Formats: sequence, C-alpha cells, structure tokens
Amino acid sequence: MKSYLSLIPISAKVHKRQNRMTILCIIFAVFLVTAIFSMAEMGIRMEQTRLVNKHDDLTLQDIISSTTGQTLCIIAIVFFVLVLIAGVLMISSSINSNVTQRTKFFGMMRCIGMSKQQIIHFVKLEALNWCKAAIPIGVTLGIIITWGLCAVLRFLVGEEFSDIPLFGISIAGIISGIIVGIITVLIAARTPAKRAAKVSPVTAASGNSEITGNINHAAKVNLFKVETALGIHHAVASKKTLILMTGSFALSIILFLSFSVLVEFVGYIMPQSAAAADINISSVDVSNGVDSALVDTIGTMDGVKRIFGRRSVFNIPAQLNSNAIEIDMISYEDFDLNCLVKDDMLKKGSDISKVYGNSHYVLATWDKGSTLEIGDKIIVADEEFEIAGLLKYDPFNSDGLTNGEITLITSGDTFIHTTGITDYSLIMIQTTSDVTDEDVTAIREILDHDCTLNDLRDQRTSGTYIAFVFCIYAFLAIIALVTVLNIVNSISMSVSSKIKSYGAMRAVGMNEHQITKMIVAEAFTYAVLGGIVGSMVGLIVYRLLYSILIGNHFSYAIWSLPTIPLLIILLFVCMAAVIAAYLPSKRIHNMAITETINEL
Amino acid sequence: MNLLEVNNICKTYGSGETAVHALKKVSFSVPKGEYVAIVGESGSGKSTLLNMIGALDTPTSGEVKIGGMDIFTMDDRKLTVFRRRNIGFIFQAFNLIPELTVEQNIIFPVLLDYQRPDKKYLEELLTVLNLNERRNHLPSQLSGGQQQRVAIGRALITRPSLILADEPTGNLDTQNSREVIALLKETSKKYEQTIIMITHNRSIAQTADRVLQVSDGVVADLGRCRE
Repeated sequence: MKSYLSLIPISAKVHKRQNRMTILCIIFAVFLVTAIFSMAEMGIRMEQTRLVNKHDDLTLQDIISSTTGQTLCIIAIVFFVLVLIAGVLMISSSINSNVTQRTKFFGMMRCIGMSKQQIIHFVKLEALNWCKAAIPIGVTLGIIITWGLCAVLRFLVGEEFSDIPLFGISIAGIISGIIVGIITVLIAARTPAKRAAKVSPVTAASGNSEITGNINHAAKVNLFKVETALGIHHAVASKKTLILMTGSFALSIILFLSFSVLVEFVGYIMPQSAAAADINISSVDVSNGVDSALVDTIGTMDGVKRIFGRRSVFNIPAQLNSNAIEIDMISYEDFDLNCLVKDDMLKKGSDISKVYGNSHYVLATWDKGSTLEIGDKIIVADEEFEIAGLLKYDPFNSDGLTNGEITLITSGDTFIHTTGITDYSLIMIQTTSDVTDEDVTAIREILDHDCTLNDLRDQRTSGTYIAFVFCIYAFLAIIALVTVLNIVNSISMSVSSKIKSYGAMRAVGMNEHQITKMIVAEAFTYAVLGGIVGSMVGLIVYRLLYSILIGNHFSYAIWSLPTIPLLIILLFVCMAAVIAAYLPSKRIHNMAITETINEL
Repeated sequence: MNLLEVNNICKTYGSGETAVHALKKVSFSVPKGEYVAIVGESGSGKSTLLNMIGALDTPTSGEVKIGGMDIFTMDDRKLTVFRRRNIGFIFQAFNLIPELTVEQNIIFPVLLDYQRPDKKYLEELLTVLNLNERRNHLPSQLSGGQQQRVAIGRALITRPSLILADEPTGNLDTQNSREVIALLKETSKKYEQTIIMITHNRSIAQTADRVLQVSDGVVADLGRCRE
C-alpha cells in the first residue's frame, strides 16, 4: 500500500454487494444522459437527411439553427438538467446509505488517526472509483437503447421518423454521459463525505450511529401490535427525516400529476382521431354533391385502407320542447360512430348503440352553455327523435363551442330516411402506409369537376404525437425510478442506523416476519403521509396547470379528477414502499444475530 | 434433573489453514435452579459458548438440550419462539429498545407473542426491581444501573427457565454491580430459574454455585464455590 487511499480498491472488493446500489444509480444517470443526447443527435441527423433531400446546400449549422434543431436541443438540455438533478439526488442518497452502513468503519478510521479532511477525500475518491465500472456500462447501455429507440421510431412510428439513422453513434452523447457521470458523482458525494467525516471515533466502539437521546416520546404499543407501533415510531420520531421522506414521496406524486397534464395538453394541441382522414373529397358548392357510388369505386383502388362519407343539411326547421328552432344534421357511418367511442368523445350516460341503423335516436353536439340533455326529444321533418348521447364538445367548430347552435349526428340510414339525400357532402379516405403520390393522382383523376380533393397526408401528427407522449412518459418513468431508488436508499439508511437495536430485538425473540412488518410499517408511514400530502398538493398543481395550459386555450375542455394517473402513482408509491422494506429486511435476515448486536 | 445439557459442541470459523476452533468438544450440564459463572480470558470462547446455549448462533457440531429439547433440530421460526419463551437475555450494553418506556421494554417479549402481560406479575417485578416510579421513563432518562434492572425485568417477564447474562455488570460501577447481582440471585431463587453468567469479575464469580472456566475453546469445571 502506497498511501491510505490504496484502501479504496480493496474496500470496493470487500463491499461489492453494498456498493451495487450506488453503482446502479451511476449507471442509470450515465445511461439516461447518453441516450438523451444520442437521440437528440439522431433527430438532428434525421432532419438533416430530410432537408438535404429538399435543399442540397444545407449545412449542419443550418440544421441546428432551424426550429426543429433548436427544439431538439432545448428538449435535450431540459432533460439533461432534470437527469442531473435526479442523478445527484439518487446517487447522493445511495452513497449516504452506504456511508451509514459503514459508520463503524469510519469511526475506526477516525480512531486510528484519519483526519476529517482525509475522510472526505476518501469518500469522494471511493465514489469516483465506482465510476470506472459504471460509466462504460452506462454509456454502452445508452448507445444500445438509442439504437432500439431509433428502430422503434423508424419502423413502428414511421412517417417523419422514417429517415432516422439506425445504428448511429453520437460522440456528443458519449461525452455528455461521461461528464455527467463524473459531475453527478462529485456533487453527490459531497454531503455523504461530510457526514462520514462527522462520525465520532466513539462510534467505532459501539457500531451504532443512532442517537437515542433524541427520542422524546414512547411508541404507542397499546394502539398497534408492538412491531407496527415501533415501525411507525421510527418513521415519526425524527421530524427532519419524516419531512424529507414524506416530501420525497409527495414530490414524486406532484411531479407525476404535473406531467400527466402535459399528456392531456398534447392531446388537445394535436388531437388524434381514429376517424382522421388522409384525403378528403368534397363538393365545390358544399351541397351533398359527391356521388355515393364513388365510395365503392375508390374503396377498391390502390393505397386506400378505408373510405367513409358524411352527408349534411344545415338550418333545417325543427321543434325542441314545442319551440321552433333551426338545426344542422350530419350523417355518420358505422365506422365514424365507432370512432366517437374510441376517441372518448361522448359524455357520460350516452348510449350510442341506439343510434345505429334506421332509428329515432340521434347524437348532439354540446358545450358548457348548452341546455340539451340526454333523453330530450326533437322533431325534425315531422318525425320525433330522442337524443341518445351528447358529444363533449362541438367537433365542427375550431373552438369546440356550439355557439348556441344544435347539430345532430345521425346514422346514414336515419339521415337518408329523414332527408331522402343519398349522396355525400364529404368523403373521407384513410390511406395505407405504402400509398404513393400516383395512387392519390389516380383517385383525383376519377373525380368530376365539381369535386375537390384535399391531400392531408402531410398534416398527419400521429408520429409527433407519439414522440411527444413518449418523451413525457420517459420523464414520468425517470421520476418514478428516482422515487423508488431514493426511498429504497432512505429506508436502508434508517435501518442501518438502528441495526444494533434490531439485533437486540431479534435476540429477545422478535422473528423475521415481525422485523419485516416493523420496516414495512415505517416505509408505509412515509408512503401514506407522502400520499396524502402529495395527492392534495398534486391535485392543486394539476388543476392550476390544467387551467393555464388547457382551460385558458380550449374553452370546451372540462376539468375532471385525474383518477387514473393518481391511482397509478399511488400504486407505484406503495410498490416503492414494499421494495424499500423488502431489501433491508433481507439484509437483516442474512445477518447473524450475533453480528447485528455487535456480540453479546 | 438437568435443565441444560451441552454435548460435544464444536464451533469452527473459516476452513483449512485459516480455521479457528472457537469451541472444542465442549460438554457439561446444568441442573435446574443452578447459578453458573463462566470465566476466561478475552477471546477464549465464552461469548461463543453463551451464543450457542442461547441459540443465537449455530454450532459446527454437537447438541444443546434445554429442558430435554435439542434446540438445533428446530427451524428458525420455532427457535425464535422457543428463545422468546424459554430464555432470558441480559447484555452488557443493556440493549433496551430506546423508543419504549421502562414498562414497555419489560413486557416486550410478551408483546412479541401477541399476549397480554400478567399485570400482577409485572407489578411484582417493577417492585422487586425498584422501577415503579420509573415505569413511564424512556431508557435515555435512566442511569446505567436502572437500565440493567430493566433488562433483568425483560429477561424475567416470560418466566424463562434459563437466564443468560453476558457480563451484566461490565458497564456498571461497583455499587450498581453488587446490587444487580444481588437482584439477579434473588429473583432467580424466587422464580426457580437457572442462570449462566459470563463475568470477568472474580468476586462476582465466587458468588455463583459453580464456576466454568473457558480456555482456548475448552471448558473446565472449577467446581462449586459457595460451599
């Protein structure tokens, strides 16, 4: 041994198992940053290929300064900062846990003359030593995942992503991964290093870092079973830990709910309808002038996946509650009606099954100012129709509002029976993924002069939508994972500080099941309190963000309790608590009683 | 009748050239109600022996019978319950639960059994141990001697047939040591319990019915002291 620092690789070998969690955290942070920057570079390369095909003299600088390039760079930087923060938190709590488990070791080092500064130096170098293994693994993983994601975007999402490179290696991704690995570890090791330096040499003798003098209240053993009471007491005894742990749980819930608003927001700015058409054919004079026979003709042509039409009449007289009014009427074919259900367009209580075929049931558009209700009767052309369902908004107006007008949606058969009109005002075509411009030209050529064809294929947003939603879910996954790791480390730290006490409890007859229950009670106390605080604050933030992002811009949007995201994150929090309790329980189980009580 | 029988216990740590034989074919028996002191140098194997008797550690070979029952034939779950109900432990470092009051610490093994403590017996113990006025205090609010008396109470609450004490006076001053030993003897006599106690203190060892000396993993019976 040349210096006391030569102890680091020796100690790393001995504590291989204890160090595993910290190394995992570093791998995770490096992998995320490598993947994010690699994906951003692949995105820029894709944009370059796409634009070079259109304009030959484009340079990389032009791409980076383009709107897409800048958006990608901003997204990558925001991700980078978030991962950096998450990484620091995650690695710091893991090193903290590691240090707490070796309190006696640091006490001993202090006993035999290591200065506080040397301890700090030791912990920091020890953390950097882990990077040796963690960074190459993280970078490799990042590159492989980037390849996987590029393949998914290219083959499954397609559209604008069909030019994305498959096996690209991003130097920027690799360098940023390495830098992030080192920076996060250095920042993360600061607090645990100071903590280790604070360990009193006296603890070398006792092996316990717990300060029993801080306990002011006894556990409530008359309210719960003794192990549960002790677990709850461990959680609430230290106000600082309680606030930190509850905050940790709550923060993940708040972040999760906040990001859930973004998923909804993307849905509003890029509405995805199952009935969205790639090609529209309409009559020039807006009457029902598109020959219904065209549907059969075009339906058999190359590149056509699905074809359906709508008929419409406007401002026809009707009677609602004995009042004479004017209404619009639009026909939907079965596929179109099915899509209303798929797109979740109907209000609660609607029964669309009554509308199909030749019936006396219709759907109606709706908004907050509308007085229409399900079950209302409306007379059109001397026939009475009942409103079987209401749409959540008016899809025929860009602002989603009805502006006091009533638009009825009927089935094709009902429309023909009521109005006698068989031709369409609009034919909608969904194309196959391999449709060519020649296929579209062929369709255009069979149309009469009074029909126009609108090619909407370039306006598809499903690829961008999926990419956006994917990004948001990736964020959510990062938040969730950081939560789990943070909670696991914190519980592990708490257990480590009481290991001698647990040994005594086992010696006097506490069995493994009771020890596990005690740790579970501690973890669930944090989880329940965090769940309550997180749900309350999270819902307020959700409501606020909903108003700012959605409510203010989409007047037809109606806020509702985000039950599913809330249930998902609460379930996740419970899972995190279970995992957090399981790992230290297993550690105690594998430890001999005589070892945990530092010999009888 | 023998309450405890230790037959050919061996304990070896490590293997091959680095093997350390902590206990070498140790055999002895202790009748019910006897008070045995174990003496020996540091590292001689006293604590290892006590750990084996208390089922806190498993021997490499040999058997330990308590009340005629071979404790190492039981699985871990049964052994924990057996230990909880039949063996009382007193540690040098007291090892009380810091979050529990004096009374809760004493009844802790009963609570682990999900039973209600015998109130009359608890009151009796608190009186004998002179802890009545301290019953609602936390361990951190007690002196060393008081904490050790709580530990004795915890060891006695399940009326175990065997009490194992590892240097119970190691952290106490002379006055407290004398009081704790007197209390242990008094209660064990009262409740007909067998005590096996490790001690470095010769004068305390001489108060025992019998003294066992452990030296390099071998136990020698030094015979009766009190006659």
